[in-house]
Amino acid sequence: MSEPILKIENLKEWFPVRRTIAQLLKGEQIWVKAVDGITFDINQGEIFGLVGESGCGKTTTGKLLMKLLEPTDGKIMFKGKDVTHLEANKLKEYRRNVQMVFQDPYASMNPRFRAQDVLEEPLIIHQVGETRAEREKIVRRSLEEVRLIPPEEFMGRFPHMLSGGQRQRVATARTLVLSPSMIVADEPVSMIDLSTRAEILHMMKTVQRELGLTYLYITHDLSTARYFTDRIAVMYLGKIVELASADEVIDNALHPYTKALIAAVCEPVSGKSNTIKEIPIKGEIPSAADIPPGCRFHPRCLYAKPRCQEEEPILKEVKPGHQVACHYPFD
Amino acid sequence: MTDTDNVLKVENLKINFFTRKGTVYAVDDISFTLKKGETLGLVGESGCGKTTTVLGLMKMVPTPGEITGGRILIGGKDIVPLSEDEMRKKVRWGKASMVFQGAMNCLTPVYTIEKQMMETIQEHKQMEYFKAKNIIINYLNLVGLPEEIIRRYPHELSGGMKQRVVIATALFLEPKIVICDEPTTALDVVVQAQIINLIKRLKKKLGLSVIFITHDLATEAEVADRLLVMYAGKLAEIGTNEQIYGKGGPIHPYTKKLLKATPRLHEKVEELSFIPGTPPDLVDPPSGCRFHPRCSEVMERCKKDEPPLIKVEPEHWIACWRNHHE
Amino acid sequence: MKWIDIKAGFRDFWDEFKRVRFGLFGLILLFIFILTVFINPYIVPFPEASSRWRDITYWEDNPVSAPPVWVNWFSSTKRAPSLILKEHDFSEEKMGKIKLARAVFEYEYPYDLPPLDVIFHGYAKGSPVIMLSIERPDGQIVELVRRPISKSDGKDVRVSIGKDSRIESYNFGVKYEKPESNRIEREMVKPTSILFSEAKEGILVHPAPLKGVYKLIIEIILPAENDAVEDIYFTFSGGVSGWLGTDSSKRDIWSGVVAGVKWALLIGLLTAFTAVSIGVIYGVISAYLGGWKDSLMQRIFELFIGVPLLPVLIVMSAIFKPNIWIMILMMSCFFWVGPVKTVRSMGLQIKEETYIEAARAFGASSSRIIFKHMIPLLIPYSFASMALYVPSAIVYEASISLLGLGDSTIVTWGQILHDALTGGAVINGLWWWVIPPGLFIALMGMTFAFIGFAMDKILHPKLRTR
Repeated sequence: MSEPILKIENLKEWFPVRRTIAQLLKGEQIWVKAVDGITFDINQGEIFGLVGESGCGKTTTGKLLMKLLEPTDGKIMFKGKDVTHLEANKLKEYRRNVQMVFQDPYASMNPRFRAQDVLEEPLIIHQVGETRAEREKIVRRSLEEVRLIPPEEFMGRFPHMLSGGQRQRVATARTLVLSPSMIVADEPVSMIDLSTRAEILHMMKTVQRELGLTYLYITHDLSTARYFTDRIAVMYLGKIVELASADEVIDNALHPYTKALIAAVCEPVSGKSNTIKEIPIKGEIPSAADIPPGCRFHPRCLYAKPRCQEEEPILKEVKPGHQVACHYPFD
Repeated sequence: MTDTDNVLKVENLKINFFTRKGTVYAVDDISFTLKKGETLGLVGESGCGKTTTVLGLMKMVPTPGEITGGRILIGGKDIVPLSEDEMRKKVRWGKASMVFQGAMNCLTPVYTIEKQMMETIQEHKQMEYFKAKNIIINYLNLVGLPEEIIRRYPHELSGGMKQRVVIATALFLEPKIVICDEPTTALDVVVQAQIINLIKRLKKKLGLSVIFITHDLATEAEVADRLLVMYAGKLAEIGTNEQIYGKGGPIHPYTKKLLKATPRLHEKVEELSFIPGTPPDLVDPPSGCRFHPRCSEVMERCKKDEPPLIKVEPEHWIACWRNHHE
Repeated sequence: MKWIDIKAGFRDFWDEFKRVRFGLFGLILLFIFILTVFINPYIVPFPEASSRWRDITYWEDNPVSAPPVWVNWFSSTKRAPSLILKEHDFSEEKMGKIKLARAVFEYEYPYDLPPLDVIFHGYAKGSPVIMLSIERPDGQIVELVRRPISKSDGKDVRVSIGKDSRIESYNFGVKYEKPESNRIEREMVKPTSILFSEAKEGILVHPAPLKGVYKLIIEIILPAENDAVEDIYFTFSGGVSGWLGTDSSKRDIWSGVVAGVKWALLIGLLTAFTAVSIGVIYGVISAYLGGWKDSLMQRIFELFIGVPLLPVLIVMSAIFKPNIWIMILMMSCFFWVGPVKTVRSMGLQIKEETYIEAARAFGASSSRIIFKHMIPLLIPYSFASMALYVPSAIVYEASISLLGLGDSTIVTWGQILHDALTGGAVINGLWWWVIPPGLFIALMGMTFAFIGFAMDKILHPKLRTR
């Protein structure tokens, strides 16, 4: 693998909670620690999966990378340059390189724009293509890239005139018009029917190979993550708890949370309708405004020991290429 | 098999929507049974008519939809001719209740859980306050929620807890049939598994018959004893859990493809297969077999004649010309 | 958006609009109003009313405070209406160097009360002498005026029988009266009432109308070769005048009211358009920026809401020279607060849409997001609220004018009302002076209110962003 295209160091995003008068007088401030110090690299040409339940901070991480939010702390390095805080013109340039596919393709397109306008918008913003005809050529090409053929048939349609799969293709095509080097895909297939889900993932993978793109794939679904990604980072309450290659995470999970997630996944296999499946986890996910001390997973962990309540484990490599944040990964 | 084993029997049910664009044949001539104590899975892509089917069972098809034919026998009695009033008093909630899609997000935000549940209970049955409250607490405990939750507001609860409240509400009047429409779709994996476990436990404990609707074949494998696979308003395949997910696997090309498109966690595949094209517009469904434009095993006959649902082995029915041997 | 999409959008809107009965009625009224502006010169007797409303000479041929002509339909004594008589027989005779021209105008008089005045108009060159006489249905010819014109290259000649032939008329009438009637003052007689009455006793005191065809004869002596009198015609200031009568300054109210349509539309539409545009943009920007900027903008907005408009307008009109443009500006400055609250809350909702976030992720600037993504969604709402602000603007202008602080270079309904009030229209029972402008204000308000409500009714369910 080559030089990492993206390096994230101790990235944090804390949102202040509105204070009561008593808290204001005492000078207290409660924070929702949506992302609480995460560190990882994404290599050039890799598909990196960020997996976790809702509220674990995976979407916030995506927004931080898209610079839709300003990080509270930490550093983002893109192609060797610090992009943590950028001025307007540098930011625009950065956004040409990093694009995003949203969860709901329908909501992510202005309902009054036709597919062509949707695709043309980034070009107009970044002043790519002198004339309308030139821009149309780029639009056409990127529609072909996402296999919407012939492009003319789709260019004039409004989002509501497209099927779910076609919409997500248009959304993907929109990210491609500026020829970016990295795409952040936030749950790109969770709203799409099962029969077409595989088709979209397949298309995205083909595009990635053809154009040498790097993906950050954010999902709650381990099954598609395994199929789609090269490496997976599992997040829990704003922290990465486990990071390894996709196969390693699923076949040899070390963190108890990852194990619970894997156990909970439904598999299309016969003979399970009469048995109750044991899921090695207890309780419910706590609020990000009130993170437990020590290991943040310990109140839900079936194997928690006294040390877990006091000392927070750090993410460290326990096997080659396999990082875990747990005091007792091999118990 | 005798009719007494069947708590629900649907015969040639047809539901049409009369829209401006034309008549939508949302549910077109389907028949099935629900046996006592079993979980019947209903799977299909969005828009295939699975939600419409179960709304039809409750006689709650929204306008401009209408049940245009067929019989729905609950406990041997046809409910299609019943009036709205009789439905509400005798059937809904009492004999069959439903957990609606996204119901957990439809709890009134300004009412406590107690008030929400009390309203439902009293709408269907005259009952003293303390008696009703006791029932509420009993059912909340049954779905694994602590008593103190009755004083909470919906926004103070997590998604899983809200779904449990909704399930508890559906059980109040001790119905024998519970219909769950995508009860786990918006939930996280861990919570999803917990809710599935809950439904299984309740089924055993209360002797319920459950209809479980989802678009996800993987989820269905965990709950359903038998499966109905729907495509474009028609039944494509009926089979037991073993027949669909077991060694033999499904027979109908649609079920086969759908199963192949379902990702498996413990099996790394290079390419997931998918079904090309999109489900048809039900205003003008394709001629012959409705799946033929997307089917890879299509024959000449599929384009002309509609395949009937035939029995290929005990409990296993399919509607496909490929396996039709006269 | 392509033209075809806009067309399709309009067609959908129109299909729904058609079903709202009162909206359609409002639209028809609006169409009539707009049509009135364009065909103004063809439907009013005084097309320059708008620009010469306060020019006394423009109105001098009209009667003072005459009721509308249709009052005759309901009254047993018919009054002669105002009239312009142009048709005449013309003959010329040459007597050496001198030319003698003769023009005869025929006037049919079937009324009970004579016109208040009959005025001769002409354009004279050189130094002609004009002689005016009248031939009555009973065959008598009364010589009325002999007017030599001083030499000029051309000037308007105006001869009023009512003013310039008092003596001649008196002399004609007095012959039939008993001698003791001599005490009737010459200055008191009305020449027209003598000339259009039966020649018998009482002609000066209580004249009886002599109905029939009268001939007004003009004889002109043209002493020089190039002398001429051209464009000759008579105007009759009737006892009834015009569709809506005249005011105490002889102005034709119908002409004034019609001239006011243009100004009402201008004031209403321009104010509503400016105010709503400012308000919508302000609201969206406030919603989009959020945070302390939003708070600050909201406080400024509340400041404007707190200031009562009418007193400010009165003070401004008193300080500056009353001017319609300043008034529109001032009203816009206060009306813009109207849509802000709604637009802001809609903006807050639209702002949360994923496609706004998507646009930001693509690097779209704030102005692009506001003008390309947010404002287009608010256009239907803007139109509906514009329609609802038009009447208020018109009423405000009328109120200011009613207080006498209006723009004196134009004619608006409010000003007509103001004149009526100061001219004692109410006390003197000159209802035709008060009701029409009031009615038009109400009608115009109703028109836009109907259209606005109809649009609101159709567009409101669509206010949801998708």
